[in-house]
Amino acid sequence: MTYVHLAGIESGYGFFAPNVPGTCKLVFELHYPDGRTETRVPAVSSHASGLRVATLLDKIGRPQYDSLREVIIKMLASAVWREHSDAKMIRAVFGVVTLPTAEEFEHGVRESSEFLYSYDFAFQPDEPKQANP
Amino acid sequence: MRRSEFWKQRLIGFLFPPESDNWLALLRFGLGLQVVLYCLSIRKDWTYLLAGNGGLISRNLSERIFALESPLIPRLGWIVTLGGHFGLSEESILSVVWYCLVTAGCFLFLGLFSRAAAIATWFLHLAVLKSADLLSYGMDNLTTIGLFYLMLSPLPDRCSLDWQWRKSRSKHKDLLGFWRRVLQVHLCIIYFFGGLTKCLGNGWWDGSNIWRALIRPPSNIIDPEILIRWKDLFPIAGVFICLLETGYPFFIWGKRTRTIWFTCICAMHLAIGLTLGMYLFAFIMIVLNAAAFGAGLVSRSRTESQRKHGTGIIDRRAA
Repeated sequence: MTYVHLAGIESGYGFFAPNVPGTCKLVFELHYPDGRTETRVPAVSSHASGLRVATLLDKIGRPQYDSLREVIIKMLASAVWREHSDAKMIRAVFGVVTLPTAEEFEHGVRESSEFLYSYDFAFQPDEPKQANP
Repeated sequence: MRRSEFWKQRLIGFLFPPESDNWLALLRFGLGLQVVLYCLSIRKDWTYLLAGNGGLISRNLSERIFALESPLIPRLGWIVTLGGHFGLSEESILSVVWYCLVTAGCFLFLGLFSRAAAIATWFLHLAVLKSADLLSYGMDNLTTIGLFYLMLSPLPDRCSLDWQWRKSRSKHKDLLGFWRRVLQVHLCIIYFFGGLTKCLGNGWWDGSNIWRALIRPPSNIIDPEILIRWKDLFPIAGVFICLLETGYPFFIWGKRTRTIWFTCICAMHLAIGLTLGMYLFAFIMIVLNAAAFGAGLVSRSRTESQRKHGTGIIDRRAA
């Protein structure tokens, strides 16, 4: 087991196979004490980092990440909250982007988002206090 | 008995062919550059992506998962704990790791202290990769594969500063052919199974997967309005990719087909890099292919050219 990790051969080689999957999306709704609401997405500084975040979201959309999904989304929500620490609650909305076929695109259909999960995280000024899925 | 002896000799001949170190120089250059570019590509987010606390996601989560699988898999937590004994903060240690990885990559590129640089690069890259496993994708694994083989190969090569300046020589030149063969076979496995699984998806035969890959965020760097004009080419491109990948282990070995297959595979990766914005993925695949099957093509065409023009210079030291 250790050897396969050291050699980098622990994963399969089905890049974009058998089919190109849909891509997952995570949006945070920030709720402020005065009733304001803002939306944010996980933000990074470069396209290369963006690819990694997209990979993370695609991973946690898979069934084998069911048990970890909430934990990871809570971490991502905490990262957003650190930038907006006056928010009292963050609602994380996780979904999958449905891509149009080429024919559909020609007929004006564009990508749409399909809702999968939603999590509410309440925050105190100091640190994340509790999670309410 | 004679038959088994014949096959044994053939197998040994296949696994341990006489080989120059051109491929190793290519692999070393390429991987050194790849690691430096990798570090630069996520420089601004390095601490944010790898922090145990206060980052995007906690590094500790991946590390705990891997610790359950094996306690011997390298991870950044080891280095952070070690640095903690010297009073260094996590942020400082992560910065030190970044500089060490860039330095090791530069040393690898130059061929200075090649073996030590290869081991350090492999270890640090693997530690970063495993600690950020949830954020890693195929390119990272392929870099690990390349670094693993490079670390075990008989360094230094003739193009390295070790050879030129330090007059350091490899003691196991007889293994040059073996490690190249391992890389070649590994690439054949990667492409064959990658291609075979693509063949099972109907989206590659009708071109819809090409379209999906190109418009899928965050790889949608080309405007779909432009892409749609080329939609008739998608099925051709899809079938071409399936055939190219599945046929790789069959056509890359033959002298007549190797140049075509090698050129097409590199062109495919270049296209992936340019159209999907996956530059590092494209680069590592081209480097691995160039080392595995391209080095011979370059030297062969050079020999032929020298023979034609009568400008061949025999390097007596190398000979």
